[in-house]
Amino acid sequence: MLEGLILFGEAVMLFGALGILRFPDVYTRLHAASKCDTGGAMSIILYLVLTMDAPGIVKAKFLVLAFLIAMINPMVSHALARGAYRYGVKPEAVVDMYAWDNP
Amino acid sequence: MAQEGLLVSAFYLLVFTALLVSYRVLRGPTLPDRVVGLNTITTKVVVIIALVAAMRGEYYLIDLAIVLLMVNSVGGLILAKYMERAGGA
Repeated sequence: MLEGLILFGEAVMLFGALGILRFPDVYTRLHAASKCDTGGAMSIILYLVLTMDAPGIVKAKFLVLAFLIAMINPMVSHALARGAYRYGVKPEAVVDMYAWDNP
Repeated sequence: MAQEGLLVSAFYLLVFTALLVSYRVLRGPTLPDRVVGLNTITTKVVVIIALVAAMRGEYYLIDLAIVLLMVNSVGGLILAKYMERAGGA
């Protein structure tokens, strides 16, 4: 049951890396990196907390690490997207779902 | 022990994905691509340090992981501010 948590985290990390390699644009790569990396790291650390036999203060430190990842990673991604747009990188990927449905 | 093997396989898979992402750092077309790759690699290294700390039972490494995460956040914010100021790719 708990092994599913770490396997989910590893799969999410792998797909995030594939997205960073394969997506066409800075913003789509940032989407893959931020979302997949944060979720994978948090689920792996949660598995470590749940299955480790350690004193409570150590588990509290692991939980502090997970909380800091959840707070800091989206903040840095937001700042990077803003900085990339001001730097002059225009988005290439265009999503137009109305045109897909009505050719 | 099956659980040890699971943690070791997670360690090797994280190292493999970090090597995959380093392609984007070395050969990214623009500066924001490289910064995104570097941020991702640092998050993976934080998780690797947490895994090693739990496997070997050396719990002082958690402080190292927390400090590395904070340094990564400050560096990312400073690079974003630099890109915002620089303008004009």
